[in-house]
Formats: sequence, structure tokens, C-alpha cells
Amino acid sequence: MKEKGNIFVLPAIGWVLLFTIFPLLYSLRVALSQVVFGRITGWAGLSNFARMFGDHRFWQVLQFTLYFVVASVTITVLLGLGLALIFNRKMRGLKFFRALLTTPLFAAPVAIGYLGVMLFNERSGPINVLLRTLGLPEGAWLSNPAWARASVILVDVWQWTPFAFIIILAGLQSLSDEVYEAAAIESSSGWQIFRHVTFPLILPVVGTVTMLRIVDAFRVFDIPFVLTGGGPGVTTRTLTYYIYVQGLSNLDMGYASAMAYFLMAITLLVGIFFYRQSRALYQ
Amino acid sequence: MFRNRLVLIISVVLTALLLLFAASTVFAQNDLEMETARKAFEAADRGNPDPAWEGQTFTIAVFSAGPRGPISGPLYFWRPFFEELTGATYEIVEIPFGELREKIFIDLITGTGFYDAIVGPSWFYGDYIVNDWIVPIDKYFEDPRMPVWDRDSIVLPIRELYMWGDTWYGFNNDHDGQILYFRRDVLNDPEWQAAFKEEKGYDMPVPPQTWEEVYDVSSFFNGRDWNRDGTPDYGISMHLKVGGQGFFHFMSYSAPYVVAPAPGDDPTRVTSYHNVYWFDPVTMEPLINSPGHVEALKSLMRLAETGPEAMFGWELGEAWDFFLRGNAVMTFSWGDVGTLSQLPEHSTIMGKLGAAPIPGSERYFDMEKQEWVEERNFVANTVGASWHGVISRFSDQQDLAAYFLSWQATPQINHWNVVWGWTGVDPGTLYDFLPPIGHASLEDYVATGFNEEDARQFITAYMDMWYHYPLRQHYLRIPGTPEYWEVLDIYLSEAVTGLVSPEEALNRCAQAWNEITNRLGRERQLAIYQESIGFQPE
Repeated sequence: MKEKGNIFVLPAIGWVLLFTIFPLLYSLRVALSQVVFGRITGWAGLSNFARMFGDHRFWQVLQFTLYFVVASVTITVLLGLGLALIFNRKMRGLKFFRALLTTPLFAAPVAIGYLGVMLFNERSGPINVLLRTLGLPEGAWLSNPAWARASVILVDVWQWTPFAFIIILAGLQSLSDEVYEAAAIESSSGWQIFRHVTFPLILPVVGTVTMLRIVDAFRVFDIPFVLTGGGPGVTTRTLTYYIYVQGLSNLDMGYASAMAYFLMAITLLVGIFFYRQSRALYQ
Repeated sequence: MFRNRLVLIISVVLTALLLLFAASTVFAQNDLEMETARKAFEAADRGNPDPAWEGQTFTIAVFSAGPRGPISGPLYFWRPFFEELTGATYEIVEIPFGELREKIFIDLITGTGFYDAIVGPSWFYGDYIVNDWIVPIDKYFEDPRMPVWDRDSIVLPIRELYMWGDTWYGFNNDHDGQILYFRRDVLNDPEWQAAFKEEKGYDMPVPPQTWEEVYDVSSFFNGRDWNRDGTPDYGISMHLKVGGQGFFHFMSYSAPYVVAPAPGDDPTRVTSYHNVYWFDPVTMEPLINSPGHVEALKSLMRLAETGPEAMFGWELGEAWDFFLRGNAVMTFSWGDVGTLSQLPEHSTIMGKLGAAPIPGSERYFDMEKQEWVEERNFVANTVGASWHGVISRFSDQQDLAAYFLSWQATPQINHWNVVWGWTGVDPGTLYDFLPPIGHASLEDYVATGFNEEDARQFITAYMDMWYHYPLRQHYLRIPGTPEYWEVLDIYLSEAVTGLVSPEEALNRCAQAWNEITNRLGRERQLAIYQESIGFQPE
């Protein structure tokens, strides 16, 4: 009976082989090949990987990618945590506000990008119009390299903070009231209760959110693609964007595959690190 | 109470009147549009549509701008006429500008043949031809089923973009090149002219003929309230965002600093040092960091300081809009600005438009002698896409697609597209140009709502550039052109936003171009480059 039951697993195994293992192996082959105009023309060995290290554009986009991941994830998780703490109490209209807060999460990132284009338009966008009306200096949101980076991060934070908020709020609501009652006897300070009771208890949840956000942030593409076109220069071009351009625009798929493997290695390392940390935490 | 009711009634009546006025304007415009389109349809050659085409469908890929937007718009507009003509129809697949290359090239690389026809840019030709992705169309010129169009009417530099060597691949449609647009009313104002003379020490050049003069005029007007709206205005409007086609500004701007006339009887002769812009035609070494290019980039950056900082984040539509709304005194761009300036929904400057051929430079760099020559130099350009149809080798509806594209290329339909500004189809044929060169008339333009003087200036500027300029800039038509240009686009953006110096940006660009050339095969690239610019090795 058990052996017959294994037959039902075969479609899943077939799916994984066809759509995960095969593309993975095929892209490895492409990464090890010389590809001109989308056609494999010869064996390249590790030269596509070696090329990354001598390509200053690769280092530039990697630098922005890391900057983006650190800034976006940190702000997203802190904001999500703050909002979760605020909304984890009994208040009027709570359901309405929670629903409202999560709205950006349900929009496609590309749509969010276009929304950003309208908001950050330096002549007619509402942000600069408001600043102008208030007599404040206007922001060069998309034309200045530093501002453009900030704009991309802001839009990403706006979209993904609700994700952190929902997960952390769920974590907070799973905590028992008895714990707080006991803690209230020991300490009257809200900060101390948060520091010594709440935060340690929701740390695994915060860790999971952080890990998911890091992995996701490494893959960001739509928002800089639509909002800034990766510019000025390549100041807001992420690694995935660079891979896309090399692979699908320039049809240099060997190099693009090599970089994609590098990106996969980074995200795998992040995943393994967090997995180990959270396992240690639970133990 | 009575007062409130009165206010309400007046408001309702005024709103209704406004809506009625707006609707009547739109309908009147549409009536005229349909009436003239029907006339063009009746007058245009129809060939002999094959009865076997009835009920057939083919697919056209086109740059995405919507049913009333440039280039894609006419495909929607003419579809019912095409259906009436043939009983066949076509699907329109709109592709955003930034994704054109990958969507189209992947269809062609894989031989899928999803797109039967492609209304694409001319910078794809190197890849099209070398990879044998599109079909020659000469056979259709003798095919009695096909409508007849006038190839000889197309201005020579654009005609060459539709061809490879002596073989035709493209169907006549759009004709791109950048010229200078300015505010005729402002530059001709005696008060401003007097103030300019006092400040700059010489008469205001109307129109400015060199980039140095353009800078003087732009810097003079920048920061002044010349449109009298109570706020300071700007000198120039440009689109300089990465991926926003800003590199075309640099091409047309830098050409006169770089393209040098050949010595002897024929100044247009292509030698290692003369009439070259992109690469050394002997070694395939990039010329993009030549002293002429560097000087031009510095000069362009200086000019950019006389416009709003926001334009470093603008795509071309935003730069056009800024000029058309009366906020910049000049811009240099394609024919779209000329036609859009006549549409009240896009423009506030109708009747105030001035146009002139693309400016030259006060000096140019002689690459043979490695020195600057202090002489004015004027170089025509065909920068841009010159969007036009080609037929995919993998299409199973080649004849039907050829019929449609031939019909769109006929003088009547093509000229109709040119005179109606929203189509994005720009002038470039004898039937668009005025006598003594062409055989169009100002009435053609006035009949669709053009201001007569605006039309005269606009069309004459193109005629002067393409027929009277002594030199012209070659179009880059080698495999990988989109990649070379994408790299240039990024380095230019880095330079204009101050991330690197102009010299460093162009040196790095040259290095990156060398890497692309080596990857794609230097010998092959060189042979195609030489062929594409008509260089004969000695």
C-alpha cells in the first residue's frame, strides 16, 4: 500500500525535475558556455564567472543591491514592528486601519513603480507640489543619484512594510496575556516589558520576516526598472536588473547565467544563516 | 435660499456649456480627421488584394504608445480601412520602448514567428541582416497585388535606412532627424533682442545657427520670465534620463564637432579621418572618446545648466511637453514637436513656433592633423528610430503583411499620417516637402489645423538640413548597435549628473565598446561597419 502511495508523489517529482532541476542544470551549462546572440558557440569554462570580477559595472550594481537590501529591509522591519505594536491593542476602527495598511501589498510591484513615477515627478508630482506650496526646497527625486536611490528604497519600503506588519502582528497576537500579566508584576515600564518579554518572544517571527525580506530584496527588479530606469547612470540598477539587461537585452546569456548563479549563492547563504540562527533560537 | 439655487443653476448651465463646447471641438476634429482620411484612402493605390486573404489575420509588433499615441496609433486608426479593403485583419502587439529589443529579438532568435511584421527602429538593422531575420522586399515591387509607393520620394539619408546595400528591407513610414525648435515670438521680440545685445554684445541670432549661439540664447533667457506668467522660465528642454533616448541628443549635438569634411573635391568622401563618427574604419577602435566628442559633451552639459534640473530624469515626452507648454524657449528634437505644437490638447505655442536645421559648431576636430579647425561645420542627422515596418523571415503571412505595409507606404496614406501630428510619423518625402524641392503645399498642412508660418518653418527646417547641409552623420548599423547605445546612454547619464568627468565617461565608454566588439568578433564587426558607411580600404 505504501509503495502504491508513492505513485502519487511522481507528478510532484516530475514538476520539480522539469521546472526546477532542469532549468538549474541548463543555466549552469549556459553559464559555462560562450553565448553570442543567444546561441551557444563554444565552451567558456569559468571565464563568465571570472568576467564578473573584472567588470566594474557588476561591482557597482552589487554595491547598490547590498545598499538597497540593508536599507530597505531594516526600515521595512522596523516600521512593520512599530506598526504592529501600535495596532496590537484594542482600539476603534482597528480592522479598517489594518485593511488600509495592507493595501500596497496587493498591488503588483510594476504598478507601484508607475505610481512612484507619478508621485516623484519633479515638475508636477504631488510631493514636490506640496513642498513648493509649503515654501520648502523641492527634491530632485529621480534626477539626482542620491535622491534616486532614496526614492527607490522609499517605494519598496512603502510596498513591503505591510508584509512585515502582518506577520509580526500575527506573532504578537499569538502571545498569551498571562505572560504580560506576570511581566506587569515584575516591571511597570512598557519599554522593559518590550525589551525583556515581547521582543524575545517574537524574535523568531522577526527573524523569519527579515530573512524573507532579504531574499526578496535581492531579487528586486520592477521598481527601479519602472521608476528610474536604473539611473542616473547605474546608481539604482540592481543585480537582477543587470542580469536582465545582459541576458535578455544584450543576449549575452552566458554572462547573465553566471551572475544569476552568483545571486543564487548569496541568497542561499542568507537562507542558511537565518535557518541556523532560528534553529539555535528555538533550541 | 434663492441665491443658492441661482448659483446652482448657473453652475449647471456653465458646466453643460463647457462640456458641449469640448465635445463639439472633439467631434469637429474627428470629423475633419475622418473626412481627410477617407479622401486619402480613396486616392491611395490599392493594388489588387488577393481574395485568398479574406478572413486571414497577421500580427504586428510595435512600440507601445496606445491607440492614439505615436507610431502605434496609426495602426489602430487604419485597421477598419484595411479590413474594408481586404477582408483580412491584424493584431497589434504593443511593446514598451525599454523591452522592444528583447521581445522582438527573442521571437526572431527562437524562430517563433509570432510577429509577422515589426514596426521597429532602424538601429535593429545590423542584427536583422547579419542574423537573416527579415526578408528582402524587392520582389513585392513587381507584385501586382501590392499598392505602389514612391521610393524615390524619400529623402536619401532616410531611404538608406530602409535598405541594406542595394536591397530594400523596410517599408516607407517614419522619417526621423533632430532639428532646433524655438519660440519665434520671443526671439523676435525687439525688447528681448535689445536686452540680449546689451548683455552679450552682439545681435541675437534668430535662429541660432551654432551650438555656441544656442547656448548664448538659452543662457540669456534662462531664469527670466519671458512668458510673463509671473515665474522665471527656462532656456532649454531636453530628455536626459537613462533609457529615455537622451543619447540621441548627444549624437546630433556632437556630430558637427566630430564629423570632418574630406579635403579635395568631395567633402563627403569617407576616409579614415573624415566623415566618420563611431569607429575608426580601419581598426574598429571607438572614436567616442575623440577630442570632438569630449568637447561636445562638455558643451552639452553647459547647455543643460540652462534648463531645469528635473530634465536629468525626463524621458522625451516630458521634455516635449515642457517646451510645448511654453516653459522653455528652445528644444532640439524630432518632427513630433512640430506636429504636436499644433494640437491644442498638447500645446500652448501654436502660432509661435520657430524651427531651424540642427545647429552646427564654431569649430571641429581634424583627426588626421590632430588639431582643431576654427571653421563653422554643419552636419545633418537621421538620429532616432525612423520607425518602419519589416517582415519576419519566420512569418507565414509575409504577403499579407507586405500588402498592409505597402499600402501604408503609399504617398496619400503616408502623407496623411505626417500631417496629423498625433500619429508620430514625421516628414521626410518630396510629397511632405514644399517647392522648389518637394511638391506639398502649405494648404495641406493648414487644412489639418496647422498655423501657416509654423508649418513653413517646420518643413523648411527639415528640407534645409537634409538637402542643403554639406555633411551628414552616418547611422550606426552594425550587430549589437542597441548594446553599444545602451552603454553610451549610461556613461552620458553619469557624466551629465556629475558622477564622472566627461573625459572619463567617454574613455570608459570606448573601453566598453571595445569589449563588445571583441565579444561579437572584431573582424566581422569591422567588415559590416565599413560596408554600412561606404568605406573603401585603400
